[in-house]
Amino acid sequence: MRTNKMCALVGNLHRYDDLLPLTANRPLSTLPFDGKYRLLDFNLSSIANANIKSLFMVFNEGETQSVFDHIGGGKEWSLDGIQNRFFIHIYQDFIRRADNNSSYYDLVIDYLKKSKSEYAVYMGSKILVNIDLRALLHIHQAHGNEMTVVYKRVPKDLLYKEDIIIKLGEDNLIEKKALVKNAEVQDVANLCTDIFIIKTEKLIEILREKQSENVLGNVESFLRERISKDTYAYEYTGYLNNIYDIPSYYKANMDMLDTQKFNSLLYSSQKVYTKLKNEVPTYYSETSVVNNSQFSTGCMIEGNVEDSIIGRGSDIAEGAKVSGSLIFPSNTIKANAEVSYAILDKNIVVEEGVKIVGTPEKPVVVKKGTHVTADIIGG
Amino acid sequence: MKTEMVAMILAGGQGTRLGKLTKNMAKPAVPFGGRYRIIDFTLSNCANSGINNVGVVTQYQPLALNSHIGNGASWGLDGINAGATILQPYSSSEGSKWFEGTAHAIYQNISYIDQLDPQYVLVLSGDHIYKMDYEEMLENHKRNNASLSVAVIEVPMKEASRFGIMNTDDNNRIIEFDEKPEEPKNNLASMGIYIFNWGRLRSILTSSYAKDSSMNDFGKHVIPAYLDSGETVVAYRFDGYWKDVGTIDSLWEANMEFLRPDMELNIRDKAWRIYSKNPISPPHFVTETGSAKNSLISDGCYIAGDVDHSVLSDDVQVKEGAKITDSVIMSGATIGKNVSIHKAIIGEDAIIGDNAVIDGTEEIAVVGYSEVIGVTVDED
Repeated sequence: MRTNKMCALVGNLHRYDDLLPLTANRPLSTLPFDGKYRLLDFNLSSIANANIKSLFMVFNEGETQSVFDHIGGGKEWSLDGIQNRFFIHIYQDFIRRADNNSSYYDLVIDYLKKSKSEYAVYMGSKILVNIDLRALLHIHQAHGNEMTVVYKRVPKDLLYKEDIIIKLGEDNLIEKKALVKNAEVQDVANLCTDIFIIKTEKLIEILREKQSENVLGNVESFLRERISKDTYAYEYTGYLNNIYDIPSYYKANMDMLDTQKFNSLLYSSQKVYTKLKNEVPTYYSETSVVNNSQFSTGCMIEGNVEDSIIGRGSDIAEGAKVSGSLIFPSNTIKANAEVSYAILDKNIVVEEGVKIVGTPEKPVVVKKGTHVTADIIGG
Repeated sequence: MKTEMVAMILAGGQGTRLGKLTKNMAKPAVPFGGRYRIIDFTLSNCANSGINNVGVVTQYQPLALNSHIGNGASWGLDGINAGATILQPYSSSEGSKWFEGTAHAIYQNISYIDQLDPQYVLVLSGDHIYKMDYEEMLENHKRNNASLSVAVIEVPMKEASRFGIMNTDDNNRIIEFDEKPEEPKNNLASMGIYIFNWGRLRSILTSSYAKDSSMNDFGKHVIPAYLDSGETVVAYRFDGYWKDVGTIDSLWEANMEFLRPDMELNIRDKAWRIYSKNPISPPHFVTETGSAKNSLISDGCYIAGDVDHSVLSDDVQVKEGAKITDSVIMSGATIGKNVSIHKAIIGEDAIIGDNAVIDGTEEIAVVGYSEVIGVTVDED
């Protein structure tokens, strides 16, 4: 495909306080996923796999360290190629610079113009998919509507109150849309994934309009508003999850222990890329007992691990028991400690014999960098 | 900044003693230790020692090696004033330039070295497993005002006759060099690692090739010539882990040593990382029926059988009921149901059909790259 057919915008502006303390210093999109990924990897990989060379990202202030650390020069997603351009902006900076927030509009419009692309794709950050954006473009071109939005039929319990659900009319055009919190939701609903494709020109026009009205907003909110009877709905049939609070985040990770879901998300025809670490292979000692779990590289496993996902470079000492848990990278779980139904953020040390116990419905979350010396019993 | 020292890695050897494993692949590209290829150790040593310009001299079956090395980015060799350059034989107006020996390979690439105009040239081989700080060796070279430094290691006396043996005086100055002596006078073996003052080596090579082309090999010709003409040739003693992996037995053995978490190489040392080209695969999965003990396992593996005392590279599938012991499984291999593998090296992308038995108790069993053993059943 021609390299500048599409440009991409990725939004990360919502703050999800129900994910605290995991999102205390990082946006939702840099939350670790399945041991070695970050949620953002899925967006970036979909963009790279579609050969999109132009990318615009906006984050909130105070949340960018993990973003820069993770993306670096963007090499892993081939964002560093000679034809590539990518921009990382901080939303509050736009607002501060001009009280009529015109700088936000100016920058986005300028980006869109310079991308010289015919179409713009927008992706939100909380919905986890591995999507073929080229297929989305083809469908959009074939139907010739103003905008195409990606949806998936999902069970009710996967919905977040601020999500949009849609009702389909004739020819897969959208008949009705509603926010989940204002709608009467059936057992199964059509979830709008906040992935949109629209002509770049049209998006510029919408932005100019909003700018002249002096509205405070962002691309995602404008596109959501724009969903109308002239919007085509494209059904995504691959694996999807919706991450907005601790239980939904925990469940999405645990899904990866289901071979079918794991294969659907990570072994589809589209590869998922992440930051390279040059870790050594994971070592299992004579004393290790492991069962139904996933392990990233660089770990030392001497204890028992069951139904868990272990991040890069974590050590689990002899006699320690880890079950039903998400262990982020660089953790140390010492001898005879017990961690069950817990989420351990990065750089945590669990002292010998200490117990951390949650429940599948309410896993215990331990903050980044904590040295755990006393039992934590939650749930 | 001027380039002080250029490294030339001699990676052209055929490695015939590795049989199937080097049939279509240069020895330095042979996978090792789960995530690595043999040459990664030398390349990482260069990168960690601050050597930014590395020429990799290839000749035999270089495809896998070339694609592995690329522009050297995996080792950080792609920066400003840096680069990894694949040096292939080529033909010129004077005829084609196949490399006749180690020194000849350097001679043929004089223009590459000249273009960087270094003061020193570090000659390395691409088929050893070790960690070494070449900067320290260079410091030693300068301190001794040497014209040539040769890295040496003590080997067991009974094995000394397999190596080039250095006889030194009290100041570590080399006074005699015996290539594979029948009766070695000591056990200081050459590691095939040399630092030359480039100007001197250049003039010796060019004048020799202008006359009679007698300087094909460093061990056989160049070092003796240096000694004869009274150049300062100094031994640089190395005492860490160093392993030649030129045979199936030694490759298997080195992998088994690599397994031990306390092994001397200390691969977990973040201050001296071993870099490699990383394929990106998801975390590895150990299912309810699977187990892993005393083993190293890399990304993308799917373990539904039992793995004990073995090294598994990326994307290896081990199906239910399979038992793998004391073995090395290279990336992409599929091990069928109820397969039993003992003391074996299984090549990349090999397929071992259900119920097959591979037993290397007598002699290490080797399955080649993409080789298919036994009957395979088409699933889905």
